[in-house]
Order: sequence, then structure tokens, then C-alpha cells
Amino acid sequence: MSGIIPTVPREGLRGVYFDGQSAAAQEVRLVMDEAAQQLVLRGEVADVAWRFVDIRLVPDQAGRRGLVLRSIADPAARLLTAHRDIAERFPARHRAMVQAERGRILRWAVAAVASVALIVFVLVPTMANQLARFIPPEGEKALGDATLAQIRGALDETSGIGLGICSSAEGTKAIDTLAARLSADVELPVSLTITVLDHPMINAFALPGGHVVFMRGLLEAAERPEEVAAVFAHEMAHVVSRDPTRHALRSAGSIGVLGLLFGDFAGGALVLFLTERLIEAQYSQGAEAAADVFAYEVLMAAGVPPSALGDMFEHLREKTGDIEGISAHFLSHPSLGARIQEARAATPQGFEARPILSEAEWTALRGICGKTR
Amino acid sequence: MSELPEAGPWDRRNTDVIPTRYRQPDPEPLEGDFVGDRRRLFALAVKTGLLTVLTLGIYRFWMKTRLRRYYWSSVRFGGVPAEYLGDPLEKLLGFLIAVVILAFYIGIVNLVLMFLSYSLFQDNFVAYLLSFAGVVPLWFYARYRARRYVLARTRWRGIRFGLEPGAWGYAFRAIGYWFVTIISAGLLWPLMTFQLEKYRTDRTWYGDRRFEQQGRWTMLYPAMRHVFLSVFIAGATTVGGVYGSPLFFVATALCLPWFGFGLAYYRARSFEILANAKRAGDIVFLSKPRPMRVFGIYVLGNLATGFLASLVLMPLGLALMGLIGAMIGTQDVVDFSMDSLTSGALTALGVASYFVFFLAWSALSHSFVTLPLWAHFTETMTVIDPGSLAQIRQRPRDEFDEAEGFAEALDVGAAI
Repeated sequence: MSGIIPTVPREGLRGVYFDGQSAAAQEVRLVMDEAAQQLVLRGEVADVAWRFVDIRLVPDQAGRRGLVLRSIADPAARLLTAHRDIAERFPARHRAMVQAERGRILRWAVAAVASVALIVFVLVPTMANQLARFIPPEGEKALGDATLAQIRGALDETSGIGLGICSSAEGTKAIDTLAARLSADVELPVSLTITVLDHPMINAFALPGGHVVFMRGLLEAAERPEEVAAVFAHEMAHVVSRDPTRHALRSAGSIGVLGLLFGDFAGGALVLFLTERLIEAQYSQGAEAAADVFAYEVLMAAGVPPSALGDMFEHLREKTGDIEGISAHFLSHPSLGARIQEARAATPQGFEARPILSEAEWTALRGICGKTR
Repeated sequence: MSELPEAGPWDRRNTDVIPTRYRQPDPEPLEGDFVGDRRRLFALAVKTGLLTVLTLGIYRFWMKTRLRRYYWSSVRFGGVPAEYLGDPLEKLLGFLIAVVILAFYIGIVNLVLMFLSYSLFQDNFVAYLLSFAGVVPLWFYARYRARRYVLARTRWRGIRFGLEPGAWGYAFRAIGYWFVTIISAGLLWPLMTFQLEKYRTDRTWYGDRRFEQQGRWTMLYPAMRHVFLSVFIAGATTVGGVYGSPLFFVATALCLPWFGFGLAYYRARSFEILANAKRAGDIVFLSKPRPMRVFGIYVLGNLATGFLASLVLMPLGLALMGLIGAMIGTQDVVDFSMDSLTSGALTALGVASYFVFFLAWSALSHSFVTLPLWAHFTETMTVIDPGSLAQIRQRPRDEFDEAEGFAEALDVGAAI
């Protein structure tokens, strides 16, 4: 059966009309009434006139041998015809038909954005801050272990078993000495676990459960042990204020919400990552400034000038360049120039510095990954 | 609705004495036909996919609408194409509504679960498990709602389809039948297939005509024969291999493709059995899909998709290898800025290949898997109308704020 759309136009134009009220197919003759600028459909029962300007093509049709037409004046009715050439008579044939109400969509869009913003920026952080205080130490430690394993997996590009941990005997001893000196007078909520990862990135960070992680790149970029000590004091401040735990809990809440918003399309993961970083930068700038201030006190108590932190940042800036403007938003630390000045200003006049590590210990620390550069 | 003729829908009544104008149309087989073209669909999928990537996903509501319009208009019974009338903005609205509701659940509940899981079990496994369990009923709920939306926006011969409300009832039953299926090790799979299909079909309308799923769930057992046999023989030959000759393991290995065929066979045969036991008043359906063809589409279609999608990746892969080579070459010189420049390029290339591969994969899979499957199931289907089709009247529009929002937000993985 070839179908009910007639293909041979013998006596003028023909088509099949569905009135939108019944499923009955009505065979109709098509008359182009040029004077009235309308298309007249005449069948046994049907007698309909569609104005040329009202007629639309039903879009994205797979069939290429005929036309499916509709009129905005009678949205449910359809006309099927094999005469493709008549389409040119209808000037608005490609214009879209508006169905949904724009105003309501706008209202819901505002509601959706507001509710997501409320959840991600207010509700989730507030709850994370509260819950971070109640999480028991073992739970916090497990959270940190899981996060460290994730980071090692994500940064590993070759072996597939996770980024290597540096642990030469003398190096470990040196970093423990440094940690003991700095944390002597500090009341820590959890005991510290220090890890050096074999990665060239100049970075250090704290994770839940007292994890302080150095990248090999940072140890190599530092010129004196005091600079490493300064970074350590800064990360210790995060441990004390439980910033990493709050961060991890916050991510658990907000990542899901953002994933929901962007859906599972190609760029989902990427956009998700960028957005997560953006949010992070928004609420950790205050935490970073507080951690710097805490670090100054710890350093001075241990006989290290706070300006060491500034020196470290100086090296960081030489290596990577200061990042200001839009991209600075994506880094979770305030701009380096400001922090260098603050660190220098925090060092009192005539401060008496004591070396934090011996020359031998410093060499051992730099060689903790088993190679010197 | 006309009386059912004694001899079945094929009986041709004597119409000579009735004037043509007033006579009942003859019983008419409306043959299924599929006119969609794989190259044009591919072009449409690539174009809309690209726009989706460029608009950070916003265009996906338009992409889905346009692809559905194409698929729907490809399906013809008696020469009349179906029509999809969903509005992308309506989908966007539905999605936003779902986001407002789900954001709360996902944000707060996941946070609390993560906290409790680490506090009480020192692990996140429990959190993931509970979070998943909480979404399961919502997932089935979303599936039913999405079906209701899609049917409400589907027309054929100018008449709307429709699905009655009942999403929670569906979610409740789906969980129950899935549970029964799992604890019976798959033996009660046909029960689940039949009961869920019956629940959906009995609530489906075409205009003012209601569909009905007839038959019993046990009629699906013949369709399971290859699944059951391949599993049984795999088990028996494993025992034979362990206690007897290792040659038995060859037979075990052959059971895997057989099992794959069994699944395709079940898909085709269960569709056929269920379709042939459906009716809409006195309109009935005749479906004759070929299991071997369905199996062929799955195997060859996916192979073609995988092969061609990886061909697309080749130039990117070569560039990637070149860059890695350059990076290894410069590493001894120790130039950090150079290093970060190369790694930046590497990241950009990685992201680009991810997009390209994703786009190619989804467009190819439309062309080589989804479209041929639709074509086959449509072309082997006939709607037999004993003359009552013309009496079907329009049904009111199902205003449906939430559209398929939950399905979109939860990604319930509908066919297209």
C-alpha cells in the first residue's frame, strides 16, 4: 500500500486534510485563491480557507516527497500534500509557532537559579560548617584518606596506580623535625599526617583529618627551609580551622546540584569542574587570609620571620607570573602581590631569626624524593 | 465504535447497498513504513550536538525536540506520518521545575548522608548506596512522567495520544517487580515485562480510544528461551569443564554471544507478543520483527559506531602523541614555563577530543543503532482498522508544566 497521499496531480492540486477533531482523513482539492491570498481546501465535508500568511511548514520532517502544513489559525488541523512547489506561496512558512508561555518560563528560571544559588552558596556551606564540627576524628581521617587517594589518582598520568609518595628516611626525619618545631605550641584538633607527593607542581594543601600534603615542586622551588616552614604553618592553620573538612562536605553537596543543572552532556564534567573552582575561590579567600595571619604567629613563635612566606610567594610568582583579573577568580588564593606585602609587613623590626633546619637536614628534605635537581 | 465482525477484522462487509458517502470504510491494513534517512539524521544530530556543546548544554532541549520531530515524522502508518509537538521551552521549564525540587534533595540529603556515612562507618560507600536507593523510586516516577509528556505531545492524523496520571503507582510497581525479578534470579523477568507494559498500555489513549493490553504474563516465556538455555548450558558446561574435559569450556565461551542473541531475541519477540495482544477498541496490531535482524543491528551498529568514532579521534590522537613527544624532549632543559605551555595545549587537546568523540559517538549511534531499530520495528508492524479509526475524536490537551523535567534532570536514558 503506497499510502493515502495522492502523488499524481491530474485534476489540479490535491491533498489529505485532518481537521484536528476526528481521525478521519478527508481528501480535499486545494485552490490557491490569489485574490483573497488564501488556500481553500474543499472536500466532501471540508470547506476551509487558510490565509497564506498563517500557513507554516511542520518542521524537521523526514519525508521529502510531500508537505505537512498547518495554520496558526487552527493549530490542530493538518494538511498533507504531494505538491512541494506550493510552499513558496506561503511567506511565513518557516516561522516558529509559539506554544509555551514565556512569562512563566522566566519566573521558573528565576526561581530555579535562586534556589540553586541559595542551596549552593548558603544552605550547603552553612550545613557543612556546622557538620564539620561534629564529625568524629576517625570519620574525618577516613574522609581525608579517600580525598588523598582521589587526588593521587587524578594527578597520576602514567602508572595508573596513583602518584608516588616520597619517603626517604632522612627526608622524612627532617620534615618531622620541622613539623614538631612549628606545632609545639599549637593545639591541633587531630594529629598531623605529612605527605610529599612526587609531582612537579609548586603546591601544598591540607586535607581533612590533619593531612598536610606537599608537592615535590614546592620543595624544589623553595630556597631556604624557612620558606617550606612558612607554607607548612599556613596549611596547619587550615587544619586547625577545619577548612578542608568543610570544603569536602560542601563539595559533596554542591557537586551533585551543579551536575543536575548542567546535565549529562558533553561539556558537563568540564563546566562542573570550572564552576566548582569558582565557588571554592569565592568562599575560601577569607579563609586564606585568616590562615596567613595564623601562620605569622606560629612562625614567630618558632623563630622564623613571617617574611619567609612572602619569599615563597615571590618564587611562586617568578615561576608562574602573578595572575590577576578574571583568571585570578579561578585560583583559590588571593593575589600573590598583596600577600607578599602583608607577609613582609608582619615581620617586626629587628626580629631575631633562628634557623629551622640544619644545612644537612635541609639537603635531606630536598632529596626526599630520591633525586636532587 | 462499530460492532466487532464475527470473522475478525479482515472480514469485508457488503457495502453495495450503502451510498458511498455514508458507508463504513473497508477493513484496512495500515502498513508501517519508515522514511527516515541515516545521513540526514546524522547531519541533524551533529549540528544540534555542536550547538549543545557551544551553549553549555542549554540547546539540548532543542536538540531533543528536533531529533524527535525527525524520528516521529519518519514513522508512517497508512502513509500518514506521526508528529511530535513538544516545545523546547516547555522542556526547559519542566527541567527548571525539577531542578528547584531536586536541588534541595541532592544538595542537602547528599551532604547529610556523606556526613553520617563518614561519621558512623568511616567510609563513603553507605552514603552512595543510600543516595542511590533514594533516587530509584524517583527514577521510575520520572520515566512514567516522561512517557506521559511524550505521548501527550504525539499526534497522528491530527489526534493526540495520552497517558493517564499514575506515576507513583508505576514507580511502586516497578520497584516491586524488579525486586521479584532479582530475587528469582531473572526467572520472573517476563512477569515484570508484562505487568509494567500492561500498566502503561491500559492507561494509554489515542484520542477518545483507550488501549488495552491483553494476554497473560506467561505468554512471554517462549521469548526467554535463548536467554534461559544459554545460561543453563553455560552452567552445565562449566561444571563439565571443572570435573571433566577442559574442552567443555569452549562450549561455555560460545554461550556468551548466544546469551547476547538471547537478549535481542527477547527484545524482538516480547515486543511482537505484546503488540499482537494489544488493542484499541476494535483496532488491532500485527507485529513481526525478526530477532536476527535486531541482533544484527545491535552488534554491527555498535561496532560501526565504535569504529567510526575512533577514526574521528585519530588526528587528535596523533597530535597528542606529537605533543607528548615534544614535552619529553624538552623536559631535561628544565623550563617550567615551556612545560606549562605544553601541558596547557595537552589539556585543550584532551578536552577537544572528548567533545569530538562524544559528538561523533552520539550522532553515529543515532544513525547506526537507533534509526535502524526504529525502522525495523515500524516496517514489520501493521495497524488493522476494521473501519472505526474515522470515528475517533480528539482528546483535550494535557497541560503539563513539568514536561519531562525529572527525566531530564535524572537522565533516565529514554530511547532518544
